[in-house]
Amino acid sequence: MKAYVLKRLIDLGIVLLGMSLLVFLMIRLIPGDAVAIMLGANSEITDAGLNELRARLGLDQPILVQYWSWITHAVVGDFGTSIWTGRPVATEIAANLWPTLELTFLSVLVGGTLSIPLGCFMASNRGSLSEVVTRLVTITGLTIPSFWLGIVALFIAAKYLPGVSLLGYVPFSEDPLGNLQRMILPVIALSLPMLANLSRLVRSAMLDALNQDYTRTAKAKGASRRRVIYKHALSNALIPFVTSLGVSTGYLLGGAIVIEQVFAIPGLGRLVLGAIAERNYPLVQATILVMATGFVLINFVVDMLYFAIDPRVRDE
Amino acid sequence: MTSIRYQRKSLKLAFMTMATLASVSLAGQIQAATLEVAIDSSPAGLDPHLITAFNSVVIVQSTVYEGLTAVQQDLSIGAGLASSWTVSDDSLTYEFTLPVGATFHDGSSVDAEDVAASLRRVQSADIASPLASRVSPITGITVVDAQTIRLSLDEPFAAILSSLAGIAIVPSEMETDKEGLQQTPVGTGPFMFDSWKPNSHISLVKFNDYRVDGLPTLDGVNVNFVPESATRQVGIGGGDYHLLPGIDPATALQLAANPMVTVQQTQNVSYTLLGMNTTRAPLDNAKTRQAINMLLNREEIIAGALFGSGVPAGPLSPALATWALDTSEFACYERDVESAKALLKEAGAEGAKISILVLPRQDAKDIAQVIQQQLAAGGIEVELQNKEIGEFVQDWKGSNFDMFVSANGGNPDPDGYFYRTFRSGGSTNVFKYSDSEIDGWLDEGRKLTDPAARKVVYDQVQRKLACEGPIAHLAYGNLSTAVSNKVGGFEIYSNGRLSSLLNATLSD
Repeated sequence: MKAYVLKRLIDLGIVLLGMSLLVFLMIRLIPGDAVAIMLGANSEITDAGLNELRARLGLDQPILVQYWSWITHAVVGDFGTSIWTGRPVATEIAANLWPTLELTFLSVLVGGTLSIPLGCFMASNRGSLSEVVTRLVTITGLTIPSFWLGIVALFIAAKYLPGVSLLGYVPFSEDPLGNLQRMILPVIALSLPMLANLSRLVRSAMLDALNQDYTRTAKAKGASRRRVIYKHALSNALIPFVTSLGVSTGYLLGGAIVIEQVFAIPGLGRLVLGAIAERNYPLVQATILVMATGFVLINFVVDMLYFAIDPRVRDE
Repeated sequence: MTSIRYQRKSLKLAFMTMATLASVSLAGQIQAATLEVAIDSSPAGLDPHLITAFNSVVIVQSTVYEGLTAVQQDLSIGAGLASSWTVSDDSLTYEFTLPVGATFHDGSSVDAEDVAASLRRVQSADIASPLASRVSPITGITVVDAQTIRLSLDEPFAAILSSLAGIAIVPSEMETDKEGLQQTPVGTGPFMFDSWKPNSHISLVKFNDYRVDGLPTLDGVNVNFVPESATRQVGIGGGDYHLLPGIDPATALQLAANPMVTVQQTQNVSYTLLGMNTTRAPLDNAKTRQAINMLLNREEIIAGALFGSGVPAGPLSPALATWALDTSEFACYERDVESAKALLKEAGAEGAKISILVLPRQDAKDIAQVIQQQLAAGGIEVELQNKEIGEFVQDWKGSNFDMFVSANGGNPDPDGYFYRTFRSGGSTNVFKYSDSEIDGWLDEGRKLTDPAARKVVYDQVQRKLACEGPIAHLAYGNLSTAVSNKVGGFEIYSNGRLSSLLNATLSD
């Protein structure tokens, strides 16, 4: 197990390093440069002025030199300062991290938790009318993009719940009710596609498990239906579920970018979108690195979970 | 005895509890009256002498910053920071009197030296302010005493008072500082900059030492950045926001049906335009530009892209009632495909391929598509270039375009708009337009102080620019601002400024 964890940690480092290089180059490949955008429509600015600003920001150096300087600072936690606000990038990220974390956590909690009973229900009632209806609903859930769901939910809520604050973000510590109230719609919009996806996965994994010999054996030895489904079949069906949960959580981070736009939540997604538009290189690099780290860490956790749920991995 | 004591004690306790509860609920009721404004994106910066974008200007001008004069709701010029002024008989000397005891938000007092420094700052080549041409005729800036500043001109400059309305007065220490005000504005206006949470909002708080006692009424203003138009719309209905300035026609139409919201509309001084690069063939030929005007059908653009909200645009907004010519006076505004084709043939521009750079805004994109169709009728093949804002600005600024569709802010005085846009070398003349006749008229127009004589000059300018200038003026939209019914005393201004927040109130 130690060797396994170590190997995964090394992988993690390599992925992040590759990621950082990719992001570094990509943001510089988009046409338009930070300095020109920063000076905006100010048509009387001279080339000398532009170059002075570039030099001050270190943008006149060759790209690889810039990268080296950035990465050597980044490994010790210094991500530089935001070009526009002049504040440390780490501070800006910290200020925007929490809403995204909360949104992701709640969405995974809702989507992941509900998908298990829903999937089991579909598997054990296969072919019944209620199962067909549920299946139709989940297919719909899969095909509707979450931003559209968000906007529609917003309009419906505004019509039937006038005067209820549903936009923006207030920290849980300041106003727990207000915080949760504002989280309801974004969480619904983000977790529904996830719920649809995962419950369908649980359903097929369960159907598979229910057809296995060990299930027949369990039935034959007289175990109750509930015990057969939740103990014998489910524990085997959970392995693909956990894998998929990890991947879905990663995608959810991507969906959160759009949902944060729709619900005016000041999170990482909006931060990175704004930063890209401004060509705020240090901020884009660090934010995407943080998001990528999140993605990689989730997969790492998933791998670790295999130890808990799959004896075969444990015994390797 | 003990029981009485106990009762007293518990009574006292009960009272205390009640008092605490009451004060808590009272505090809840008289919580700070902070007006929530929502706009679509964060500003790029807040330095009043450097910003040009609407999102920056709307946040700070006439809220945080004031000029010596101020534009009134009817676009006339009234007192701003200066309480009064005198003009010499030859119109070459202006003396402004500052109120005694006025202070900046940082507590320092406002005196004539600050005014002088602010004007020098705008004129300075090093600061490179886009407002520079508005004050370039001012040749002498003299501090007479702490309360009096004298401005001298070499030649009369008719638009000086309206130009000064747009020049914010900042502390003299900022004269050579290019960065300080971008993040932390310091002015004399009714609201004081408090904090800027990137990605979320800027908050302004009441300036307690504002020179007018009892104003502003509000405790503060939060400007929220809300990218989705649907979100802003829901937010004002639900009470999260109180004011949506400058909303698009589609949103205005939908919000007009909401009983909790009033949509205030006014004739906009800003307009949509088709800009043409006069250094690129075939647009360098005045005949091509005239033909393009003939191919455009402005009514159709307004109906198709602006939801019918707006009027066809000449070079000046009808909001400038005393100056603007009616568009019926411009022959090329009558759509005439055959004559246009003939003109294009003369100019050797038949079957020209032209690209249009499009401002990334819904109305501009829609307009560009309508224009594409309309020009196709004359055999001009148009390619649309949709770029994101950073690239758009860069190309616009560097005159790297054939044509562009965009929106421009207007100005209450014809000189304020024409001079910087159409004068050879003007600060926003990205078209590289250079016409000696226009230059002559524009120079003359700013020297004349007799309104009737000025009008004659600017009539000529409008007639010439309308058909062969580098801008095909498309439409003056209606400026729409959605106001929650909780807000009292807010009045929309044609120039889009939130000047009336000074008197606005907020109820529960």
